[in-house]
Order: sequence, then C-alpha cells, then structure tokens
Amino acid sequence: MIRHLFTLIWNRRRANFLLVTEIFLAFVVLFVVGSLLVYNQQNYQNPLGFEYEQVWRVGLDPGTQPKAERLSTLRQIIQRLRGLSGVQALGLTYSNTPFTDNHNTGDVNAVKGGHKVEVNSYWMEDDIRDVLSLRVLAGRWFDKRDDASNVPPVILTQDAQEQLFPQQSALGRIVYKGKKEFRVVGVVENFRGDGDLSSPKPAILRRLTAQDTSYVGFFTLLVRVRPGTGAELERQMTIESLAIGKGWSVGITPLPEQRAAQLKRVLTPIVAMVLSCVFLVVNVALGLFGVLWQTINQRRSEIGLRRAMGASAGAISGQVVGEILVVTTFGLMLGLGVAAQFPLLGVLGVSVGVYLTAMVLATGLIYALTAICALYPSRLAAGIHPAVALREE
Amino acid sequence: MKATPLTPVLRLSEIEKVYQTRDIETVALNRVNLTIYKGEFVSIMGPSGCGKSTLLSLMGLLDEPTSGTIEVNSRPVESYSDKELAGLRNLKIGFVFQSYHLINDLTVLDNVELPLLYRPGIGGKERRQRALEALDKVGLSARTGHFPSQLSGGQRQRVAIARALIGRPEIILADEPTGNLDSVMGEEIMALLLGLNQQEGTTIVMVTHDEQQARQTERLIRLFDGSQVG
Repeated sequence: MIRHLFTLIWNRRRANFLLVTEIFLAFVVLFVVGSLLVYNQQNYQNPLGFEYEQVWRVGLDPGTQPKAERLSTLRQIIQRLRGLSGVQALGLTYSNTPFTDNHNTGDVNAVKGGHKVEVNSYWMEDDIRDVLSLRVLAGRWFDKRDDASNVPPVILTQDAQEQLFPQQSALGRIVYKGKKEFRVVGVVENFRGDGDLSSPKPAILRRLTAQDTSYVGFFTLLVRVRPGTGAELERQMTIESLAIGKGWSVGITPLPEQRAAQLKRVLTPIVAMVLSCVFLVVNVALGLFGVLWQTINQRRSEIGLRRAMGASAGAISGQVVGEILVVTTFGLMLGLGVAAQFPLLGVLGVSVGVYLTAMVLATGLIYALTAICALYPSRLAAGIHPAVALREE
Repeated sequence: MKATPLTPVLRLSEIEKVYQTRDIETVALNRVNLTIYKGEFVSIMGPSGCGKSTLLSLMGLLDEPTSGTIEVNSRPVESYSDKELAGLRNLKIGFVFQSYHLINDLTVLDNVELPLLYRPGIGGKERRQRALEALDKVGLSARTGHFPSQLSGGQRQRVAIARALIGRPEIILADEPTGNLDSVMGEEIMALLLGLNQQEGTTIVMVTHDEQQARQTERLIRLFDGSQVG
C-alpha cells in the first residue's frame, strides 16, 4: 500500500506541487525558528555559574569630583557599606556586571602570536567570589598573595582553560592579551554573565582592587545582602554613600530585577517570531485542510470505486491520511535538504546538535500537523456511500 | 468447463429498497426474490429508473436493503461489520461499470492491481504477476504502462474487466458494461464476458439495455418500477 501511495502521489505530482511547496516552506520556517528556540532553551538550562539572588548592583557616579580624589572617596564608601549589618559581602567590579548586556570581549592566547581565543573579560575584586558564590574548580581565588605578584593574576573559566590549554592544566601558565601577560592562578566554573539565554563563552577574570588607578570614571559594586533586607537597606546604603561622596550619585538595582528586565528584552523578539511562526503554521494548516476537503469532494467516485474493490471505511480513512503523509514526506525531503546546509555553512552559528534537534522537532511537528489536518477530511471520505459515489460520475 | 448451475452464489429474499427524503418516499425495489447460481450468466433489463442499478448495488454489498435478506454462499450479510463486508466484496465480487471507473493517475497495470491492494497476504510480486495474467486474458498485455487517457473506450472497459478478474471472484457484477461503447466495441466486450462465462465458468450478472445482448445470456430478469416482472 505504501508503494501504491507513493506511485499515486508521484503521478499526481503536478497537482500536489503547491502542497509540497507549502509544506517545504513551513518546514524551513519551523526549522529556523526551532533552531533558535532549541539554542535558547539549551542555554537557559545551562548553569549560570554564579548566584544572583540577594545580590545588588550599586552604581556610583563621582560626578564632577576631581579624579585624584575619587579613589579615596570610593574606598571610604566601600568601607562604610561593608560595615552595614544588612551587607554580607561587597566587591568592586566593572560595569559589565551580569544581565546588563554590557560586554567586554577580547582575544587571548596561550602562546605569543599563537591561536587566539575570544573571551569575555571581567574585573573582580577579591570579595566578588563571595558576592556571586563563584565555584573554584582548580587553583585558588585572588588574594593578598597577588599584591606582590610581578605578573598580574587571572582566573580562567573551565571553557577558557579547555580552549587555551586543551587537556592540560592552566595553573601557573601565562596567557597573553595583546602585549600584556597574565599568570593563571585558578579555574572557575563556566560563568555566563551575559544572562540566561547567552551561550557559554570562555571568560577570564582579572583582579581589581580599590587601589587601581586605571579607571576612575563610573564605579560599580556588587553587594550580597542578607535575606529579608530590602528598601530600608537600599535607603541606608544610598544615604551613607552620599554622605561620603558629596556630589556623587548612587543607583541600586537588585540583580533579579536586572535579570527579569534582560529576559523581557531578549524574549520579546523571540516571542514575536514564535507568534509569526504560529500564525504561519495555522495558515498552512487551514490551507491544507481546505485543499484536502476539496480533494475528497473531487475524488468521490474514486473513493466509491475503492470501497467496491474491498476497501473498508477505515482503509479509506487511512489512505487519505497516508496520502497527505506521503506529500508531506516529499516536502520534508526538500526541506531537510535545505536544513542540512545550515550546519555545513554555519548559518545561525549554533551547534550541530541544535540543528539536528530542530530538524527532528520540525519534522515531527509537520507530520503531526498534516495528519491532524487530514483527520476530518479522512472521516468525510470514509463516510462516502459507495453506491451513491459510483453513480455520480 | 462450464459449472452446473446448482450452487447458489447469491440469494436475495423479499428485498425492498426505499429511498426516503424529507418529503418523498421512493420505492426503488419491491419484494425482489432472486438467486444467482454458480456459473450462470444472468442479465437484468428494464427501463431507466426501474431499480436495476440499485439491485446491482445490493448484490455487490455496496448498499443495504430497507428490508429483506441477502445471502452470500448461504450466509446472510446483514450481521457483517463494514470491514467484513469490505472483505466479502474483495474476495467474492468483481465489478465492471458503464463508465469504467479507472483511476486516471494510475497505469493500466496499477489499476488492475487495485483490488489485491486490499487483500492481506498478497505481496507486490504476486500482485504484478496476477495483473499481467488478467491483462493477458483481456488482450491488453501490451498496454500495461499506459494511462487510461491513452486508451480507447473498449480498451478501458477491458482494463476494468481485468481488474474485476484479478481477485478471482465468485461473481462479476457488470453495470451496463457496453453502455458507453459503440456497437463494435460493445460486441467485443460482450464476447469477452461470454468467453469468461463459458470457458472459465465465471458467474456474471449484467445490467443491460440491449435486448440482443440480454438474449445471449442464460437468464434474463426484467424489472419494472422496482418489481421483478420476468
């Protein structure tokens, strides 16, 4: 019977051309959207590598204060804030804190002039480990020993270690960033500061101290607060900061709020795309349904004939569904041919596994959709009275 | 080779068929009693609208009588499920229609194979073999790859007969098989059916308007206004 269905559909290929084209296009759209959804879903499932609950971002803007005085004021503010009862841990960092869409990327290599690896760079004061609950996998975190170091210390994420030193330990090794050299003192779990939907990217963490004079513009602190603290601590931190930093301004945002805002920002276009896709799929389904309904009406005498030849109502119903699944198979074969080019050409920049998952999902969805669309017309076909249908021609 | 016409293949007892619409009740068949014996060639005649095709539909198990009993091989069919009736049609009955009812998108060979698609246990190779044999019987071995649109009316009807034969049915029901053909073609088809009946013992029931053709059959049943008149 399967061979018969293929023969029938192949012989009716002109009549089925538009259906095949429609299914092909629907598959390609579903595949592309599916790839992006699978990619984002997989990213979402990956651990962030840090804890953000009970962590606040404190932005400190020195305003017009002379640059020479800023670090001293900053150190006083940090000291005062550390003394507040609601503050568990506090550290200085740069503006690319988690969930801000603020990136600092650059190339590093393990050998001067060797293979470059693009990494995210983060600057962190020693206490940031406690603020973000970063997990050290090998070596150590920054500490006082690094004060005397001739070569500035860095900590690599796991991915960065694997890419820079495949199957080797990075501890004690030198990495190069431009002309600068850094010594690896530790390796931490992968850190995805770009947020839940970002792909894991190798990162290096550089040490920052409140004595660092290289940047005295806008300061950023990350603060771990005790559970249960809220608006009162926020108010207190603002008052204390402004009492020391005359003319400074302070902005405090909890990381969970920043995360929610970032998710909303990132998800909005994705949701719009999914809605467009759903709209398209519904249109395709309605089109298929209409075409099948019309086809059944045009083929009443053929259905009557098949009943006379020994087809049961169930066999007729199965044939209608079978035919649309064969048409779908032709459309999917074309679609899969196109989809196979995506990983080969690296069109969306996602892994092969993502493409394969999207292919399977889109294929399953298209088959399910066409089968569902064929169900009612197939019941109509099964209900055709053979004696009446044979007399109609 | 002709079988002695003693074994009943199909028996219709007190058959009534009434078509009911909202306003009108039309009696298509009225208390028809009829037995078809193995190896017979029976023709059914009557004016248009007298119930010939309805009778053939009932004999072909394509329709159900309003009252009365149809027996195939001495077993009443009213208790059969749709699936069982489909199986009976497939195994025991071959159909030939006035307008051929060939599927235009299938080749001659594929059209002839059609009944065997619905018979479990027959593989593609055997189907093909039997289709070729059936086409050989009707003299169309050279046209297996043609499509119906490439054939004359007579050739199309031969294909339809080959399709009716492939399942080796106990009875062939032919509804005006020469109705759409010119006299020469009609005679060819009639000769083919007579040959099948006389040489192979195939039981045939044929609806016809042609008195001359009806006279060539063993038994003639006349219908008038749904009732059997001869």
